[in-house]
Amino acid sequence: MGSVIFDILTTAGILFVVASGLMIILGVMKLLNFAHGAFLTAGGYAAYLTGAAGISPWFSVPLAGIVGIVFGLLVERTIIRPLYNRPLDAILATWGLGIVISQIFALTFGRGVQFAPSPLSGTIEVLGIEYSAYRLAVSAIAVLLAIALIALLSLTRFGLNARAVIVNENLARGLGIDSTRVRAITFGLGAGLACAAGALITPLLSVDPNMGLPWLVNSFMLVLISGVSFPSLLLASLVLGGTQVLISTFISPILGGMTIVVLAAMILRLNPKGFSRA
Amino acid sequence: MPRKEITLSRTHRTALIGCLVGLCTVAIAPLFLDTYFTNILIRTLLLAAVVMTVDILWGYTGILTFGQSAFFGIGAYACGLVFTHYGFGPGWALGGLALALGSAAVVAAGTGWLAFFHGSSPIYASIITLALPIVLTQVIYSGGSYTGSSSGLSGFPTYFWSLEVWFWIAGCFLVLTTTAGWLLVRSDFGRVLIAIRENEDRSAYLGIPVSRIKTMLMVAAAMVASVAGFAYAAFSNVVAPELAGFQLGTELLIWTALGGRATLLGPVFAAIGIDTMSSWLSGAMPFFWKLLTGIAFVGVIVALPRGLAPLISGLWNRLRPQRNAIDFEASVVKAPGTRMLQGSFGDAPPLRIVGLSRRYGSLEVLRDVNLIGKGTELLGIIGPNGAGKTTLMRCISDGKERTTGTLYINNVEIAHSSPQQVVGLGVGRSFQNTNLFETLTVSECLKLARYRIDGASLFSRSDTVALPQPSLDILQATGLDKKLSEETKNLSHGMKRGLELAMVLATEPSVLLLDEPTAGLTRPERMAIGSVLTKLTRDFGLCIVLIEHDLDFVRAISDRVVVLHQGAILMEGTVEEVVASDLVKAVYAGHKEDESA
Repeated sequence: MGSVIFDILTTAGILFVVASGLMIILGVMKLLNFAHGAFLTAGGYAAYLTGAAGISPWFSVPLAGIVGIVFGLLVERTIIRPLYNRPLDAILATWGLGIVISQIFALTFGRGVQFAPSPLSGTIEVLGIEYSAYRLAVSAIAVLLAIALIALLSLTRFGLNARAVIVNENLARGLGIDSTRVRAITFGLGAGLACAAGALITPLLSVDPNMGLPWLVNSFMLVLISGVSFPSLLLASLVLGGTQVLISTFISPILGGMTIVVLAAMILRLNPKGFSRA
Repeated sequence: MPRKEITLSRTHRTALIGCLVGLCTVAIAPLFLDTYFTNILIRTLLLAAVVMTVDILWGYTGILTFGQSAFFGIGAYACGLVFTHYGFGPGWALGGLALALGSAAVVAAGTGWLAFFHGSSPIYASIITLALPIVLTQVIYSGGSYTGSSSGLSGFPTYFWSLEVWFWIAGCFLVLTTTAGWLLVRSDFGRVLIAIRENEDRSAYLGIPVSRIKTMLMVAAAMVASVAGFAYAAFSNVVAPELAGFQLGTELLIWTALGGRATLLGPVFAAIGIDTMSSWLSGAMPFFWKLLTGIAFVGVIVALPRGLAPLISGLWNRLRPQRNAIDFEASVVKAPGTRMLQGSFGDAPPLRIVGLSRRYGSLEVLRDVNLIGKGTELLGIIGPNGAGKTTLMRCISDGKERTTGTLYINNVEIAHSSPQQVVGLGVGRSFQNTNLFETLTVSECLKLARYRIDGASLFSRSDTVALPQPSLDILQATGLDKKLSEETKNLSHGMKRGLELAMVLATEPSVLLLDEPTAGLTRPERMAIGSVLTKLTRDFGLCIVLIEHDLDFVRAISDRVVVLHQGAILMEGTVEEVVASDLVKAVYAGHKEDESA
């Protein structure tokens, strides 16, 4: 029973880490980034390459983050910016980008599965329960990340500008906020977060060219249900991720795989605002 | 009207010729194709029919769907499951087909219920369609030996007809469904679909049941896709989870985008071209080919949002001498016996508001508003900015808006009705800013407004609109009756206002909500609108609720004025009483705030 509670907490942490890059882009840019899955995959390969190069696995996450930010800025400039007035087209373009990225990985690394070394191996004993050390570390990182993101939005100048753009972009522009720059930075940040998240979760799983795909839909659901608020995202990850763990453990893993999607769709149908007010 | 018959048959004749040419091509094509290509093309032609439905959903109606493959998969699995587990023969085949159609329709209706409701965002709907194939694939995986799990079903008994026969079946299916789709998007109903794409909210406020139309369309498209899937399974003798998967669903979308959305034939040819090519090339360089289509897709979305078809049709138009514009002469006629003409001179007030309030969180925008609007009355609502005037309009026209209170339209409680249901009860609402349907013509816009009452024909197009007398009056007064075939984006501001009003009146309301109908108009235009409004209340027994800042205009036409201030009714009376009131002066001048509060 105790390990189920740890499963719930760590699953929620992983979901939060994976979805946060998507949320920041959706919040500020009103853009649902379908390339998010491909960015996660890119992070996974970054972790794999770091491991293959013999660098300490602890560096894989920051390295992936930096690669993601640079790549994100590049993509924003070439693909996203021209489509800012056509939101549904922007979705499609990011989706196309996702295909291109995953095909490039398939051409470079092959279709097969690759593994990345874990910085922490084995289990540790917490409250009398043996549990995977790395999963616990990921959850701790998720909590730190949540605090850092909330602080970024509420304490920094960029956060203030970003919140202004979230609430009313035209007015923000009228006040002299360079919304183009805010958007570019946001996309870079979102892509960086996604890549870092990919690098963070790869040691738990494995990486292949389509690794990000299963995470993509779950992240969409979590983000749609939480509106634009990191505390809500944390709550949504906990509630939906928790239900997923319970259903997988006690009923069937296949049903568990569908839990987040189905549950989130039902919640949104009955209350289109989801958890955003919670 | 001889013209009408010519134009009607022109669309149908083009469709007929196109259909026959298509069928002939399908009939003789196997003579020129080798076995390999015939084999590939059978799958491709069936998928092209599915792509055609994606174009109707996405290109014409604006529903970005990632999940059309799910219905293809449902059809395929219906065939595979019935032939594998239950039996084989003509009866079983027909039963299986019925099962395919039925389950596709049920799943589509469920998806539509989840995805489309008043206030759902297009992105949410897209995510639902994305989730559908993913969930379905999971269901197939969990089916064990019944569904064959990840390896699918194969080797079940089927009709081993020759390749030519299957080619003809697939080809005829494509040609016939595409002809039907072609007629559909050119019909009056097709205009409704475009209106939903262009401005969903406005369509709802004209009484068009947007969510129901989208769901019905989804069901119809799902059924077409399921037949294609059934045929594919029967032909290939293999069904696998990939047929329902979301990879295929997005490929359908890519072909639609590359071919040119909202061109119907573009996506069909793109599907045929690209799918044939990828079957041909993917053997040699599988990943590289996918990479190329991915890059082409991104490039087309960014640089050529309308796809490749407009390039080709542009070239075609340049090579071909321009024919005379065949834009048919649209005409308007008077609608027979309308509810509006019977009027509501009777005793029950058309509009009754009891204890209405609206809160956004802790902010109270309206509180305890009580109001009665009688027939034959023009009620002016004035008040400073932020007094809650527009919110009041919104609460009257959408049952989900208010926080508390009851609202009666013609003695019917509106409860939590959606805007289109409220229109059905007799409320017409015009908007502060003219948001019309840019690419539609004046007569098409008017026809939209009549959809609730007259419906729209699915496969043909009529060029006359029957309108109630007041609408006709406005068209005449603003000169719009001479511009019925003009696209609305080319109209002047005054004409747009006039059209907006004519459209709202065409829905035959008994309560008319007007939000600053004369903003930005010249003095003569104001006078014209003013006299139409007075005539409406006097002769047609309408109850008009009017938000207006121009007190002179209000004074000229209105019987009674309500002053809203900080969300509550401050005062009610004739224009003279209100203008003379010190309280109102204080509110407008902005001082002595505490006294008025």
